[in-house]
Formats: sequence, structure tokens, C-alpha cells
Amino acid sequence: MITPVRVVRSEWHKLWTVRSTWVTVLTAVALLLGVGVLMGATYTSDGGDSDVDTVVLTLYGSQLGAVSLAVLGILVTAGEYAHGLIRASLTAVPRRLPVLWAKAAVYTVTVLPLSLVTAVVTFLTAQVFLHDTDQAASLTDDGVLRALAGNAAGVTLLGVIALGLGAALRSVPGALGAFVGGVLLLPEVLGMLPYAAVDTALRYFPTQAAGVLGSATPLPDAPSPGAALLALTLWAAAALAVPAFLLPRRDV
Amino acid sequence: MIRAENLTKRYGNRTVVQDLGFTVRPGTVTGFLGPNGAGKSTTLRMILGLDAPTRGRATVAGRPYAAHPAPLTQVGALLEARSVHPGRTARHHLTALAHTHGIPRSRVDRVLSLAGLTEVADRRVKGFSLGMGQRLGIAAALLGDPAAVILDEPVNGLDPEGVLWIRTLLKSLAAEGRTVLVSSHLMSETALTADHLIVIGRGRLLADTTVEELVRSAGGATVKVVTPEPGRLRSLLPSARFTEETPGTLLVSGPGAPEIGRAAAGHGVPLHQLTPQPPSLEQAFLDLTRDSVEYQAEQPTEHQGAAA
Repeated sequence: MITPVRVVRSEWHKLWTVRSTWVTVLTAVALLLGVGVLMGATYTSDGGDSDVDTVVLTLYGSQLGAVSLAVLGILVTAGEYAHGLIRASLTAVPRRLPVLWAKAAVYTVTVLPLSLVTAVVTFLTAQVFLHDTDQAASLTDDGVLRALAGNAAGVTLLGVIALGLGAALRSVPGALGAFVGGVLLLPEVLGMLPYAAVDTALRYFPTQAAGVLGSATPLPDAPSPGAALLALTLWAAAALAVPAFLLPRRDV
Repeated sequence: MIRAENLTKRYGNRTVVQDLGFTVRPGTVTGFLGPNGAGKSTTLRMILGLDAPTRGRATVAGRPYAAHPAPLTQVGALLEARSVHPGRTARHHLTALAHTHGIPRSRVDRVLSLAGLTEVADRRVKGFSLGMGQRLGIAAALLGDPAAVILDEPVNGLDPEGVLWIRTLLKSLAAEGRTVLVSSHLMSETALTADHLIVIGRGRLLADTTVEELVRSAGGATVKVVTPEPGRLRSLLPSARFTEETPGTLLVSGPGAPEIGRAAAGHGVPLHQLTPQPPSLEQAFLDLTRDSVEYQAEQPTEHQGAAA
């Protein structure tokens, strides 16, 4: 009997029995921690960065880490098409959709806690260097814990978008191109357009929303963290809805 | 029991499978034959629900494959040899598939040993030879202890020992009462294991028959004759059909060896060889599928000899 729990167990086993998972996860952790320590160690109060949010400064590496974790999301789905493994997976679970949900679930329960723990450790490590500067802060300061959690949620939901793109496009290079072009670069290009309406809409785009979530102090002209979380969650849901519509309808 | 009814698959305006209907029964090995591009793999994918039929339906034990609560216990399938992540070990690959059905670890060990992969079970699939990859595919097919087994070209890439292993395995699976459907484009190989044959060409059913019947319908035996005077021999046997394999070597159908020998002796035509040839299954298969092969090579050495 196929049960959702069993499909999740199968996907969990698949996730941790290939090297690419370890490589992408450890790369993300190393980038976050490494850049955070670098930021902390090189920071000086008179360097002109005093107005930068402490959490944003410490977790600067999460932008790079997010790309590594997005690659993992793409490999989880599109990677199966590269090797034909998807035929074995969908022969074992011919109703198909449980496979997609299980992949998204396994990815989320891996990346979210991992990002959160790494964010907290990075923050605390950076503070070892920052305690005698104007960026000195503690976990109990206003907004700090929320921003650390928000950063982790942002990275995770961006990764779920990548996972959805991988499932919809069924090609690792295709999905990687779509993620870099559509999610990371497109808002930057659109931001150059001289229309106020576009600027307003852009604040709810995935990367901007993730940026809001990861800041302890409110950003000017930005949606509230709650609105940003809702927007990003809707983006991730949409990125899963497309393959969820296509998967049962396409030949494998 | 596997059944196809009016199974049709179109890609754009190309029809790959057309109105295919057949039943595969338990307890015997059924060969699924056809030239390359005949639609065998597409048909098998439709049975497993990987491709959706344009029309018609395929059922396993009375239901579409996907409608079974535990499909791996109904059908085990080997489709393309490599449906595996190259960086995963054989054991992890099988374990991941087993988890979906709650199949215990002991069963994974069992199919690994059945397929002769115990020693390489913890090696990554990347380093597997074609034959080992094929064995892993068969181990995966047997994972759910399925009532039916579908194998697409299982002997491809196997060494002689592996081919022998597949033959024995197929027969023993059928003897256990399972339904066994094996596709191939090689008649001679299939005839060694299969009792029943489903032959398709260009997506259509050409024959649904037994090996015995096909042999019977293959037509009369031929006689191989080697003579330095083929022209004279032809004129002595006006009712026979001749195929000249090489100059001086004739395949004669119609008269038997005694009749040819007597005619040659009576007129002093020397014969270097006079050998009755059993009816060839391969030939019967070729005759059946002649009009439906995708790419036909010219055969410059074979001249169709008409009755002189």
C-alpha cells in the first residue's frame, strides 16, 4: 500500500543518498557562516555602514547560499529527469502527485531548520567580533530573532520556487536558467522601468520579499514582514501549482 | 493478466500504436515482438501508465495500473535499462523504491541476491556495466514480488551468462504462475523462452499466436543445394522456387530433398550438397514484419530466383 508517509520516507532516502545534497547544503552553510565571519571581522564603526541592518549585514552570505540551495531544489525534481529515474519513481507511485508533495515537504523540512540554525550560529559568531562596534546586538533585541527566522524562511521559499521550476521544466539547466533569469535578475531589470506601479509590484517579488523578511529594522517603502511572507508563500505555491497541474497530464 | 483494448497512441499526426488489442495470461511467458520502432516500448509504457493512450485502455488484473493501491505488487517492470541516479548505490536505489510500498529491507537484500548483485550492492551505479545495470533493473522489477513482470528488451547488453540467467528466470517466474511479458526484436531469442507470441509492426497487431503455430505457418521447409550447374537444376524443377544465396548455392522451396536428388541424378547434374533446412522462425518473423520495418537495408547478395 502506498501511503503519503511512505512516499515521504522514499524521498527522504533519495535526498540523502546522493552526494549533490551534501555538496549544496554544506556549500550554503559555509557561505553563510564564512561571509558572516568576514563581515564581522572586517567591520569598523567608521566605515560608513552604520545604517545597515545588523542581521542583513551578518547574513550577507545568504544571498549566495540561497543560490546553492536553489540548485538543490532543482536537482531534487529536474535531476530525476536527467537520469530517467523519474520513470522508476512514477512507476512506483503512478498517481504521481504524492511524489511532488513529498519532494517539496522533504526539501522544506531539510532546508528550513538548517538555514535557521546556520543563521543563528552565524549571527552569534559575527557578534563575537561586533560586540564593541555600533552593530553590537543580541538575539533578544527587537526584531533580531524574527529577522533570523525570516531569512531562513525566505531562503527556503526561494528554494521551493526553484524546486517547482525544476518539476515544471524537467531540465536542470533550463530550471537553473529560469531561476537565475526569472527570479534573481528579472526584478532588477524591471526596476529600471520608470513606472511607479511596477516599483510597487516589485516589492512583492520573491527576492524583494525575502529581503524584507531578513531585516530586523523595517525597510523604507517596503511591505510589512507579514505581507512579505504571504507574498513569498504565494509565489512558492504558484511555483508548485504549475507542475502539480502538468505532472498528471504529461507522458514521462 | 494484462489486457490491451483498442490501445492507440498518436504523437501529433504520427500514429505509433493503433487499435492494439491483446491479452497476456498468467503462467506462461509471452513474447512481445516487433522490429525496432514498432511501438513495443510505447505500448509497455501505456500499460504502466507512464504514457496516456490517445484512445483505448490497458488494464492489469482488471484495473488500470495506476488504480491499484500497491502497484509494485501487481506489475514489476524493466523499461529502459537505466532509470537510476548514477551517484546512488544499487542498495539505496532499491531501498528508496521499496519505501514507497513499505517493502522491508530483507526483500531488498533478497532481490539483490536474486540478481547476483550482492557484492556490488554498495557501489555507486555509475561504475556498473551495461549488464549490471540491466540486472539492477530486473532486481527493481522483482522488488514488489509482483503478479506480473514486464521486461523491455531484457537481454540487451547482457553477456552469454546473463542471457542464460534471463531465460531461466523468465521460465521460473512463469512456472510460479506469474504473468510474464517480454519484448524483443529478436525472434530466435524469444522463441527459446516464450510460449505465446504477440507480434506487432508499425503499431498494429500482426499476430497473436503460439510459437508452435507460427512454426507451422512458416511454410514448408527449404532445401539447401550446392551445385556448379544451378541453371540446369532450375530448368529440371519448373515448379520449385529458388533463392540463390551465393553463386552456386540455392535455397529450394517446393520439392523435397529426395525429389531434387532424383532429378539431378537422372540428368547428371552434380550436387556438392543437398541439405534439408528446418523452417526458420526468424524467416517467419521477417515475412510477418516485412512491410512494417522502419529502415530496410538493401541486400545486394540475395537474388530472388523465379521459377525458370
